[in-house]
Amino acid sequence: MNAPVVVEGLTKTYYDESRGEIRAVDGIHFTCNEGEVFGLLGANGAGKTTTLRMLSTILTPTSGFASLLGHDVVKDPQGVRKNLGFFSASTALYPRLTARETIEFFTRINQYPADLVKERVDTLVERFGISKYADVRVEKLSTGMKQKVSIARTVAHNPQILIFDEPTVGLDVLNALEVQETIKELRNEGKTIIFATHIMSEAERLCNRIAIIHGGRILTCDTLDGLRAATGQRYLEDIFVHFVKGQG
Amino acid sequence: MNWNDIRVLYFRELKSALRERSIVINSILIPIILYPLLFWLMYTGFTFVSGQTSELDSRIVLVNFPAQHEELRRDLANDRRIKIVASPDPLPDLHRARIDAIVEFAPEGQGNFRTKIAYDESRDQSAQARTSVEQKIAAYRQRFLQLTASRLGVSREEFQSFWVESQNVSTERQMGQFVLGLLLPIMLMVMLALGGFYPAVDATAGERENSTWETMMTVGTSRTNIVMAKYLYVATMSAMAALLNVTAMTFSMRTVLAPLGGQIGNMSFQIPLRSLPVIALGVVLMALFIAAGMMTLASFARNFKEGQSMVSPFYLIIILPVSFLQTPGLEFSTRMALIPVVNVTMMFREAITGVFHWPLIALTVAVEIVCVGIALKLATTILGNEDVVTGSYQGSFGKFFKERLMKRNA
Repeated sequence: MNAPVVVEGLTKTYYDESRGEIRAVDGIHFTCNEGEVFGLLGANGAGKTTTLRMLSTILTPTSGFASLLGHDVVKDPQGVRKNLGFFSASTALYPRLTARETIEFFTRINQYPADLVKERVDTLVERFGISKYADVRVEKLSTGMKQKVSIARTVAHNPQILIFDEPTVGLDVLNALEVQETIKELRNEGKTIIFATHIMSEAERLCNRIAIIHGGRILTCDTLDGLRAATGQRYLEDIFVHFVKGQG
Repeated sequence: MNWNDIRVLYFRELKSALRERSIVINSILIPIILYPLLFWLMYTGFTFVSGQTSELDSRIVLVNFPAQHEELRRDLANDRRIKIVASPDPLPDLHRARIDAIVEFAPEGQGNFRTKIAYDESRDQSAQARTSVEQKIAAYRQRFLQLTASRLGVSREEFQSFWVESQNVSTERQMGQFVLGLLLPIMLMVMLALGGFYPAVDATAGERENSTWETMMTVGTSRTNIVMAKYLYVATMSAMAALLNVTAMTFSMRTVLAPLGGQIGNMSFQIPLRSLPVIALGVVLMALFIAAGMMTLASFARNFKEGQSMVSPFYLIIILPVSFLQTPGLEFSTRMALIPVVNVTMMFREAITGVFHWPLIALTVAVEIVCVGIALKLATTILGNEDVVTGSYQGSFGKFFKERLMKRNA
């Protein structure tokens, strides 16, 4: 059976007037399996967000191929988006809608069957503990509350593939742990999850496999145990430094 | 295009907009309340100033007054706004504003006289003095002639030979429509532009500022649907502002213009029913054009504030040509029908007064449809560009047009 996410030679180049051509992502390859959390670990500017933006069809790849559940990100972007929940620090919520309206809107616009929308919204409101503030405008919610609504809207249409790009940025420890728990639950439900972070402990705790990305290239990709065996290092931070310095 | 998705997106935009204070104020409250109120204040102020001027005392000096016409002196003296004063050296006094007019009488034989009024046009009070004295002398002359003619047994017809009498045959309703035709088209254009202004910036630059653009770009519908929904939302707000304003102005026009008094008080400000479809058509076409233009420009902005400054020139482009069209004698011609924005304004003006030049209306509609098509194509191309959407494009609309669109077509 084909992997839900297939990435082959994916490249993105930009042209900057002062710096010339910039290869933000440079021919990366990886696959993600069903029911796993695939970690994309890299420092700021490593190419994580650009990769995820290409997978979510926000950006068009310069070359290479990527598909989600068999939908080509270039040829069938709408097919990709229908099967994808994308969450990142730069995907905010509409401040003037209530939490419930937000979830309902994303459920509808992501093609969830119209007659089941209400039931789905109620389920999500219940599941993410949003009931108390479901009818409050998003602009009046705390950061932690907004994060819950954001995750609820990401999974609103029950997509098979989820992308989380630095989902815990700006959250306190308790809220960050809650987000991590939610991601684990979603994995246990059989979702395929791509999880980008620069926080080593999160990657250690959540990811089944980890790809270390640096300078737009994937330096290695393996399970945590595999990475430990390959480097002789116990901690992911040391493993990360091992590969990045080896590259330098 | 998926109209069901467009509907969901459209109502999301509309719901958000109607909860945003600045949009509600600019697109709903200002058209209904503020503009009629501003007009009323303007006319009241104008009338007050005119009233103040007409109430000014006119200090006049009479020179070489003919003794046979003592009754004229009494007329002048009895007018409470005229004060006959003495001056040994009247011309310097006039220059120094100590007096307002010098009325000099030159004998013409047989008791007749010629009057020369010296005044200072640069001073309201002096100009008013001249008008008051002229009116007094003209009234006295008429009375004098009639009296003399009657003494000689000559009838009015015999001594006047011919005279002019004017009669305004237009009805109160027609006069009202004429006044509406002068005022409403420009108000409609201002409201169309104002009504679309904030929603256009909110739907593009505002989304970027709130970081909701990227959220939108990952939903399971095509970007064309997203752009179309935003476009229809901006056009709706623009058209709504214009239609609300025209309704409010029509109902409040009599009150708004009441301070001017005179014939206006009796005018009937009713737009002919058969004009409404033409006006609505013009409003819709202009709203679609304005929405596309404003969204195109605002999409280059990184935040709301930048969006406002980018859209402002377009706002002026819409308003400026229209402001030159308030001249009453201007005719709706083929040449005018070919000029975007101006053509719709002229179409509005004629429709309000109940005049319909169908070939020119058809030409106007055709020109506007072409303009809307071009503007919409431009807007969708720009809003479909990933550099613009992700905010990584740093240039302006002009640079984008030159670098990306012109090169691509070359």
